[in-house]
Amino acid sequence: MDSDVLMDHNTEFQLMQVAEFSNHEERVWHLAWNPTRPLLASCSSDKSVNLYHYDTTGKFEQATSISTGHSKTVRAVAWAPSGKTLATASFDSQVGIWEQEEPEEEGGAPGEWECTILEGHENECKCVAYSSSGTLLATCSRDKTVWVWEVQPDSEFECVGVLMEHTQDVKCVAWHPTEEILASASYDDTIRLYVDDPDEDWYAFQVLSGHESTVWSLAFSPCGKYLASASDDLTIRLWRRAAQFKWEPIGMLRGHDRTIFSVSWGLGNGDGENAGWLASTGSDGKINVWEMKAPENGTLDSKLIATLRDAHSVSDVNCVAWNPRPGLGDLLATAGDDCSVRVWRITGVA
Amino acid sequence: MTFSGALTLTDLNDFITPSQACIKPVEEVKRPEDYKEPGAASTAIHVDSAGSYYEVTANGSLNGVSSSRKLETAQISLNDCLACSGCITSAESVLITMQSHEEVFNFLSTNPPRTSPEHRIPVLSISPQSLASLSASLSSSSSASISISQVLRRLRVICKNDLGFTHVYDTTFARHIALLEHAQEFSERRAGTGSAENKLPMLSSACPGWVCYAEKTHAEMLPFISRSKSPQQVMGTLVKHWLGEKWGKKPHQIYHVTVMPCYDKKLEASRQDFYNDLYSTRDVDCVITTGELELMMRARNSDLSASVPDEERHLSPSEPNFDDLPELLSHPGSSSGSYLQSLISEYLTDGSELSTRTIRNADYEEHVITNKSTGNVVFKGAKCYGFRNLQNVVRKVGKEAGVQIGRGAAGRLSSVRTKRNMSSRGGKNAEVEKDKAYDYVEVMACPSGCVNGGGQLKSQITRSQNQDNAEETSEARWGDKEWTKRVEEAYWHNLPTPPPSPSFSPVSAETYDPHVFANEFARRILVDLCKPHNGAESAWRTRMDADAEKMRASLFRTQYRAVESNVVGLQVNW
Repeated sequence: MDSDVLMDHNTEFQLMQVAEFSNHEERVWHLAWNPTRPLLASCSSDKSVNLYHYDTTGKFEQATSISTGHSKTVRAVAWAPSGKTLATASFDSQVGIWEQEEPEEEGGAPGEWECTILEGHENECKCVAYSSSGTLLATCSRDKTVWVWEVQPDSEFECVGVLMEHTQDVKCVAWHPTEEILASASYDDTIRLYVDDPDEDWYAFQVLSGHESTVWSLAFSPCGKYLASASDDLTIRLWRRAAQFKWEPIGMLRGHDRTIFSVSWGLGNGDGENAGWLASTGSDGKINVWEMKAPENGTLDSKLIATLRDAHSVSDVNCVAWNPRPGLGDLLATAGDDCSVRVWRITGVA
Repeated sequence: MTFSGALTLTDLNDFITPSQACIKPVEEVKRPEDYKEPGAASTAIHVDSAGSYYEVTANGSLNGVSSSRKLETAQISLNDCLACSGCITSAESVLITMQSHEEVFNFLSTNPPRTSPEHRIPVLSISPQSLASLSASLSSSSSASISISQVLRRLRVICKNDLGFTHVYDTTFARHIALLEHAQEFSERRAGTGSAENKLPMLSSACPGWVCYAEKTHAEMLPFISRSKSPQQVMGTLVKHWLGEKWGKKPHQIYHVTVMPCYDKKLEASRQDFYNDLYSTRDVDCVITTGELELMMRARNSDLSASVPDEERHLSPSEPNFDDLPELLSHPGSSSGSYLQSLISEYLTDGSELSTRTIRNADYEEHVITNKSTGNVVFKGAKCYGFRNLQNVVRKVGKEAGVQIGRGAAGRLSSVRTKRNMSSRGGKNAEVEKDKAYDYVEVMACPSGCVNGGGQLKSQITRSQNQDNAEETSEARWGDKEWTKRVEEAYWHNLPTPPPSPSFSPVSAETYDPHVFANEFARRILVDLCKPHNGAESAWRTRMDADAEKMRASLFRTQYRAVESNVVGLQVNW
């Protein structure tokens, strides 16, 4: 299924820009849509996190900017499933856990964002992710390790696993949408999958090899049966869950001519065999959107339905993220080296 | 990897090759240069078949003879590693030349004969965890199980006859002393009689991996770490000072090798604190791992599976014998040294009870002693093994003691309001007691502790073939766990069972109790080495006069220092 997609052919859908924010002073690395509230978070080399609010009409405005206090680049952000807690991963090796103070009086304005720091990584922390239940947090770093933390009451965290499986910088961690399966991607070109052994510790149950260069980004399909990985080898690889602890390669997508930095798997528009929409971005400045279908025969079909060049003019696009909230699955946001955050809506071509 | 056109030099480390290469700068002494022809051809580097590097002048010489000069090989000593925070405790991957079995062979083959004044007495001290590893390995390939006392007796013969050691000891008596000193230190800290720097909870210090990690990344933990020497280093003191004096030898006239389950013990022995400036010698000259000892025996075709005469002889002498160190003293508790248990034994009385709670698995256990009548917590300790649990201890201790954790974290979040712990705890006394902070934590960096050390023999449980990837992984994990369990069993097997709470009472002449005997032996050593004024009345757990106490501190305690990181700054600013 090596679909060597032709780039600028007429597609059924197009990406329309809905909003653009240029409030960051340096490149924007990563984005996270709040899963329960109309908020989008972005983080940047300028060490700040910006929050953008949107209303039902699709109007976006910047809500606030948090000076994180991180001493270096904030590389990644993640919301807890509750939508109340935000985690930041920074090159200063720390992870910040942010919660907004309760309003002083009922109905009053919420207070400031307060931070709890998680330490442990030796050096640059690259990514952070909450499990679907919100009870676990995973972080990864250039120190080659992946850490799993248990989220406890009172902003307490207990380290439940330090996984030293990768031989190089770990770029990304991602949780399965429903189960406690963790995936990590690395500069060592591999993806590793982990689960908890209830009697013992977290352990890696499988290595996914195949990529020929750094794996930058991971995204599980919303149904949890598939995993997409984006790499410096210019491919997106697709993996299928064949058994409880067994994943296998099922396909490859091409459509970028420079490093692919980010991949996001959204709900899509809910067609019959729909397995969602997969979006990718990278160093070539392009956004690609594939429609994924999983027919009864067990295959996973993909079709490029939209593509957009120069999404952030000449700059690299570091991150793409679909809005996960019901009914808003046609919104995606991108973050670029041009210091901007852009929001796009995918619409059918009339 | 392709760089984007807009790449600028910021703190954008996503593009740096992340491998932690050793960053020790190589010093080269410039020699006076020979006269150089103007415009002479530059030199080239050639590598010969032996792997040596030569700098060769490329056909530039007038006489047509090209000259070549052998280049120095860059050397990284363990001291370089200790002074650097470039990589954490990865001693295994560092080029270790100063401490290896090759080095031991090298010493033994060049040691002048006994009659020479230059002769150094070769002494080998082996840890009980190493003996357990060898015992499990032997037992797995034989029908009968071979106990660690048999292994020790066979090793004694092999090390003397095949390898050339004069004396072979195990380190359990040194551990007995380490435990006595440990308990003494704990009671000092608890009473607040130590220096102000010494805080509770006290954290064990026998694991050099943990100590090294704390020095490099958690300097705020150092005041909590016990200053008592580890069994290896107490053994060093015993061999070089006490036994040396008995033998009429100075410290540098003894060559002391220890066999340890752990590579990081090499780092420990290399610490500057254990170097004797007066005699230019270390308390432990060379540390080899259990695996390296096996390599040595293999190189000499020694057969540890062959039994030796009297190997099953009862360990305990009928009469207390103060001429040679007691051997194979068992300390109930953990197979990593029983540090926590030795304190529990001290604080557990008839009026109190012990409750134990396992957190997740056996690598993290809490032990609480409560007073039966009042319900008050008398002592709360924990056993915490493995890097992951170690993180939680650092967090918990840091929080309870109100110290800021992490390197350079102070002030980092000055611009942000750091979250306060808003929840008000219930006022009930029982609640408060339940949340009582730890008094003591036995910390080990390896999961399952020292029996599972990195220097131990590898699992000999064969893995089944033809499994698919995932099953193979779990099979291998199972095999390693199972193997650790067997080493643990071998560790406890066939040792004389001491009383559950060894008392520190004076020796009674009637029944031979190895611990009581060991206490008396330790007392005599203390008196010999520290020379207190009231010699006869001194015991390990009594305070001696100031001079003697100073001597005790220099012989049985040590210190730690934070290692400043100079690496992070180098790596991130380009």
